Amino acid sequence: MEPIIQFAPYTGWVYPNETVFEWSVLIAVYPYLTGLVAGAFTVSSLYQVFGFERLKPVAHMALLTSLSFMIFVPTPLLLHLGHPERAFNSTITPHLTSAMAMFGFFASFYVALLILEGWFAYRPFIVDQAQKQSGLLGKFYGLLTLGSYDVSEHAMRYDRKWIFALAVIGIPAAHGLHGYVGFMYGSLKSREWWSSDLMPVIFLFSAIISGVSLLAVLYVVSCKLRKIPVDLACLKGLAYTIWAFIMVALVLEGLEFANIVYKGREGVDMIMQYVTGPLLIPYFILQFAVGAITPFLWLSYMIWRGTSGRALVVGVTVCACLVLFSVFMMRWNVVIGGQEISKTGKGLLSYHLPFFGKEGALVAILLTMAPLGLLYILTRLFPPWSDEATHAHS
Amino acid sequence: MPKHIFRLVSLILGFLAVAIVAKPFLTVDSFYRFGHYRANSVTEIASQEPVLQTANYCKDCHTERHAQWSASSHKSVTCEICHGVALNHPEKGKLPIPKDAVKLCALCHEAMTGRPRTQPQIQVAQHAGGQQCTVCHNPHSPKIAAALVRVSGNAAAGKQKAADCAACHGTAGISPNDTWPNLAGQNAAYLVRILSAYKSGDQKDVAMTPLAQDLNDADIQNLASYYAGLSCKGAAGEKAAGDIAAGKVLSKNCVACHGETGIGSNPAWPKLAAQKQGYLANALKAFKAGLRKDPMMASVSRGLSDTDIADLAAYYAAQNCQTTKNP
Amino acid sequence: MNKEDSNPTLEARRGFLAKLAGAATCAGAAAGAAALGAIPTVSAKTEAPPAGASFPTKDYDWTKHQWGFGVDATKCIGCLRCVEACKTENEVPRNAHQFRTWVERYVHLEGEDEVRIDSQQDPVNIEASGSEKEFRFANRYKDAKVEKAFFVPKLCNHCTHPACVQVCPTGATYRTEDGVVLIDHGYCIGCRYCVQACPYGARYFNEEQGVSDKCTWCYHRITKGLQPACVEVCPVGARVFGDQKDKQSPISLFIRNNRVQVLRPETGNAPNVFYVGIDKEVN
Repeated sequence: MEPIIQFAPYTGWVYPNETVFEWSVLIAVYPYLTGLVAGAFTVSSLYQVFGFERLKPVAHMALLTSLSFMIFVPTPLLLHLGHPERAFNSTITPHLTSAMAMFGFFASFYVALLILEGWFAYRPFIVDQAQKQSGLLGKFYGLLTLGSYDVSEHAMRYDRKWIFALAVIGIPAAHGLHGYVGFMYGSLKSREWWSSDLMPVIFLFSAIISGVSLLAVLYVVSCKLRKIPVDLACLKGLAYTIWAFIMVALVLEGLEFANIVYKGREGVDMIMQYVTGPLLIPYFILQFAVGAITPFLWLSYMIWRGTSGRALVVGVTVCACLVLFSVFMMRWNVVIGGQEISKTGKGLLSYHLPFFGKEGALVAILLTMAPLGLLYILTRLFPPWSDEATHAHS
Repeated sequence: MPKHIFRLVSLILGFLAVAIVAKPFLTVDSFYRFGHYRANSVTEIASQEPVLQTANYCKDCHTERHAQWSASSHKSVTCEICHGVALNHPEKGKLPIPKDAVKLCALCHEAMTGRPRTQPQIQVAQHAGGQQCTVCHNPHSPKIAAALVRVSGNAAAGKQKAADCAACHGTAGISPNDTWPNLAGQNAAYLVRILSAYKSGDQKDVAMTPLAQDLNDADIQNLASYYAGLSCKGAAGEKAAGDIAAGKVLSKNCVACHGETGIGSNPAWPKLAAQKQGYLANALKAFKAGLRKDPMMASVSRGLSDTDIADLAAYYAAQNCQTTKNP
Repeated sequence: MNKEDSNPTLEARRGFLAKLAGAATCAGAAAGAAALGAIPTVSAKTEAPPAGASFPTKDYDWTKHQWGFGVDATKCIGCLRCVEACKTENEVPRNAHQFRTWVERYVHLEGEDEVRIDSQQDPVNIEASGSEKEFRFANRYKDAKVEKAFFVPKLCNHCTHPACVQVCPTGATYRTEDGVVLIDHGYCIGCRYCVQACPYGARYFNEEQGVSDKCTWCYHRITKGLQPACVEVCPVGARVFGDQKDKQSPISLFIRNNRVQVLRPETGNAPNVFYVGIDKEVN
């Protein structure tokens, strides 16, 4: 009979039960997706709440991106669960001491918030389309109007207040959402690699840079596809945001690692052996050097030199791609890396990533790509482009 | 308030109301009764049927075996460790008697790094020529009692006392007829053991019992020392009443304790070489019938036919006894 | 609405009402979220049991016991009968990588600083037993110069403040009134957070059943007056079990008569398996 479980090879001493990796690549994909959600929402908030006017071209796309990725967030979890049909047990009887249970509520609240925010932002468009379109599409928009076609100044004042309130609530909500994911790892006593007070903040700031980078890439791609010139001021705004938050993220990640090394607790020998051995390339080279330091230096250079035009577009896009890659490596290094260091502090295991299978590389790639498909559909139904008169005064 | 806001708020509140009201209905039975878990699950788990039984389960049917076992050094080794799970026994048939004793017993008794000194351990390959453990050890009473005997007697005093024994066992320890055993050159430890057994009643013999009861422990030690020091030369002579060659083949099973030619390595077990043929045959028959009690000898003699016994007796009687120094 | 603009009082009142409605919405949303989780509601389907009824079974009252476990590592001979008995008793998957209980061997060789530790998942030991379904230690150090060596049985510590219970999102794992940490296989969703949270590696995920699993101190046996299977079969008395409420029980005597310690006390989990005779490397 085909073995359903893969037993991981190891060196040194590990507990017998550890030779099965419980959290696979999907559990690295899931914080990656929630991170993109939080990051994309940050861009929207920068515009809505903090008045970064230059980000207007991407503000609505940020909302749609956030929503598309948020809808796919439960998928890796459901595929991973032993009993996905019982998934609602944690909603009906949530264990209040469990970060995972409370995360479920945060996530549900956040989905509702995203939908509401998007709805308010697009309401004039929806009302307009409900009256113009016919057939199924017309009915769809009609349903979304909730039966009210009021787009008067009075109604719009309410809408603006709601959008602002939602954006304000949305900031702690989004950051709490992703901070909770970090807390889930940081609060555990069992693994030295995870156990850290800084974990929620690290996850949060790396989430922000990933989301903003995603938006930069999507914006440039969408401009190319629509054959319109890239708004350089907007792109520069995104670049500044990435640049600023990379600094914070680097400081935090550096601090966390420095703390582990400096405090030198039991198990630090194995961590050092791991980090200078199997994790040398994924951690120091890919996550830090290639994915974080390189874009940071490049962006610094472009900001210093006031780069503009094509060089700026290419530079920011490439940097954004590197950052996206780096943040995924960070999730991988935490989730998989943490499990590769044994709880004994005296051994290392090695994770084998299958290509096929319920929790394999193919599924991971598809789950990361699928939200883009949904985003495409959403941009068709709710065009976010600021060069068309399609949305409300926001 | 604009219509759409009102409707939106109603939708949200409505959804929340439904969620709050639905929660008790969706919550599974018995949850929250004692804490944040399903109380019925405790009962479900507690109600599962045990698989392993205890030794008491075996006691009612296997009474004698159980009694023997629970008085032995293996009383902490439960029946199911060696015989497997007793859950469906006897309904589903017999439980296996382990075939490869070496593999099974070595699990606990192989000399291994890390095992406390208090655990009896052996080098498996070098122990008893790698034979099956059950050849010498009864798993339900594994200690070979013989191994514990101490010998510390005075041969000169024994010689004096031995005058009373000469009538049956000869003045030099060589018996005058085929029935009574030679004692000359016999292992002292064995002699101590058997005399003590006659004295205590562990062994019963019409002749030996009253005689042994007149001896005290010092006498027994002295007699044993004396006879052990005698030469056994000149012992053989009777015509073989069985097939010596066949006896030799059978004797392979006895090598572990009695040596190849009837001179064993453990002084607690008797030398058989050049022993009286008739005595040997009678002794084997007595072991087989349970009249002479020894769990080891009982199990090895069980499968012997009368012809086998005669052959074995003939073989050993024909062997040369070497006058070895008693260890 | 044009009519509103002409009547300032009406508008003011409506404005106030709108603000009030807005505030009520927020409060309602917050209260709703709180009510959903924070207030434990009694399930509509639970019938209250008759007062004074014995729980969990009619022959066993869990308020009368507080179970504890002891391990005397000076006695363990590493025969692994406990591992096999547990697998048989509890239908643990028959492989060398998922255990409810296991035994570790610690060996110090002469001239080496690092201790050598191995257990049942080591390929050398699997080979010695011949398959993944049977268990024995390979006699791999018999020709080596050994300074110190011993065996340590391990199992779930049934902590008083279990990290695994804390992180379970659904309430599928919990601590009973008599001090045993159990798993509700009918409620577990298989997220394996508990497996990650346990500092001792006591838990594993049962792929076939899709739920997490671990040692239960053979709850189905101890509630019937029997001992856990591993304690029952240990031939040397390295495992001790009993009721801490009974001052003369084996475990109470064990704790009283020995200097006992627990594993990883710095986690604050307060384990209830008490060890005698372990060494500095054991964690």
